[in-house]
Amino acid sequence: MVAPAVTLTHLNRADGSATYTHNDYSIIGAVNGPIEVQRRDELPEEAAIEVNVRPAMGVSTPRERHLETLIHSTLRSIILTRLIPRTLVQITLQVRSLPEEDASAGVNTSLTLLPHLLHTAFLALLSASIPLLTTLTSVLIAIPSSPTTNAFPPLLSPTAIELLRAKPIRSIHVFAFAGDGKLLLNESDGKFSYEEWSEACQMAEDVCCGEDEEEEGGVKLDDGEGAMDVDAQAQGENLEKWLRSVVMRKVEGEQRWKSAT
Amino acid sequence: MATTAPQPPPALTFPRPIFAAVSPHPFLQAHLSAAKNKSLRANGRTAREFRVPGINTGSLTYCNGSAVVRLGNTSVVCGVRAEILKDEDIPGTYEYPGQTAGEDSDDEDEGSEMEGLRLLVPNVELSTGSTPSHIPGNAPTTYAQTLITRIRSLLHSTRLLHASDLRILYRSSTNPEDPDTEAETQLKGYWVLYLDVFFVSIDGNAFDASWIAILAALRDTLLPRAYFDEEYEGILCSDDPKEAQRLSLRGLPISSTFAVFEGRKEDDEGEADWVLSDPDAFEEGVCRETVSIVVDCEGGKKGTKDLVVRRVEKSGGGVVGRETMGGLVKRSIDRWGEVSKVLEGKA
Repeated sequence: MVAPAVTLTHLNRADGSATYTHNDYSIIGAVNGPIEVQRRDELPEEAAIEVNVRPAMGVSTPRERHLETLIHSTLRSIILTRLIPRTLVQITLQVRSLPEEDASAGVNTSLTLLPHLLHTAFLALLSASIPLLTTLTSVLIAIPSSPTTNAFPPLLSPTAIELLRAKPIRSIHVFAFAGDGKLLLNESDGKFSYEEWSEACQMAEDVCCGEDEEEEGGVKLDDGEGAMDVDAQAQGENLEKWLRSVVMRKVEGEQRWKSAT
Repeated sequence: MATTAPQPPPALTFPRPIFAAVSPHPFLQAHLSAAKNKSLRANGRTAREFRVPGINTGSLTYCNGSAVVRLGNTSVVCGVRAEILKDEDIPGTYEYPGQTAGEDSDDEDEGSEMEGLRLLVPNVELSTGSTPSHIPGNAPTTYAQTLITRIRSLLHSTRLLHASDLRILYRSSTNPEDPDTEAETQLKGYWVLYLDVFFVSIDGNAFDASWIAILAALRDTLLPRAYFDEEYEGILCSDDPKEAQRLSLRGLPISSTFAVFEGRKEDDEGEADWVLSDPDAFEEGVCRETVSIVVDCEGGKKGTKDLVVRRVEKSGGGVVGRETMGGLVKRSIDRWGEVSKVLEGKA
């Protein structure tokens, strides 16, 4: 699995922004918030969250509305909305490019896009310094259909070409985990048993949260070059470490004024 | 000077509906944690209890198939109307691959055929007054659009309908090129099914109700025999009711929705989270996390190793994890038994 490429805070008008590229999916996310909220949407005890998903081409359809609903309900449990009551956090996700094979892979295209949208939204929130409860990592797992069980292993975060080659896919699963290992979102589609689902869930948890707990938490700033190499290696298999390295780069950039003097 | 001692203020009590309106969350928690071993919800059901669906089919005259489904106070009407998509009106350059031999061999193509040509068009409409949050006269809300997307993708991913039921084929009596061999079968058109779901009232769990309504309406759907008339050079429908055919459905996927109520922990004893089956509107307003599981036990298998699950949708919170989900799958399998009985008309 190749780690996603991220550029943080590159739009200077938005409060926070991120461009995310992974497996030929490229998405720009922008966050404005906390900003003034329309009277109609105002919530007395918490912040309102608005998610807009814009497709790569054309106008948004009911499919995007569904994705927005999913992202909204996931982010609502991540953002500390009660700290910023009577405000609005506006998240805009523009799909910039999709892999060419996306539509022909024969699987639900909103599910293949969903993990990338979640990551982009989370990174943009991070860039906007919105108060967050925990982190969010998400992964896609596809189980190809095979005459005998376990002949083909499940595909972890497959590219569109891999999906196309593994056709027909029997079931496809999207999992999103919070930083504390709680399963926040799951969308599974196809034909599968609970045991298969459970295996896929375990696999996703290993990738998203990492098995080893030796990390002492927090973001290390004064690591030498050796630590950087380890991080670069670990990025391959663990999304949590990848997220840590992204945050580390962000904090390093923000600490430049201090280290320069 | 009056020397009466000030009366102690009466204890603050509310009648039930005011308690529910003022503080819904503690209201439901008070209900659930009132009895130690058997927690009852505010609507009188236990946490694992579903509402029994009531199904009436064939009540709309001008539809090819229709059903009215009631799930407690949620009532929904679904009408299936079939229209003909003519060969020349098919957008793009779709080539009919010809009759394939096996029944299951064209399974994969069927999906793209039905999805690509949009032969199934579900639509959800919320009637005025069906739910307090719905303002009439506006564009379809996010809620309705989300429902449509979920229904549409479930229709396609379960491959509920056979594309062969919807094709209108024609084989000419003589082959102009070679009179000795039989002419090739040609595709002349498709039946397009418009599935209109109309909510009369919503009291929670709109998705399950609309899905049951769609299933019942599709099982009730009667398509007239359509044929290509050589002299007329167009598609005609036979008006003989004996020739009309029912749709054959692939399996019987049934969805069950759960809502997770996260109680506020007051003391360390007792469980603080409840997974409520088939939530009503009041519970949906209090619960954030929802889980929908679609199972199909048509083959009779009901174990954890059997391929019975068609879809899992879970969002909004982190209470239901891997272990809890196992229990929920079992609950949905039990629910499948109940609903399929009602659909077959046995209960």
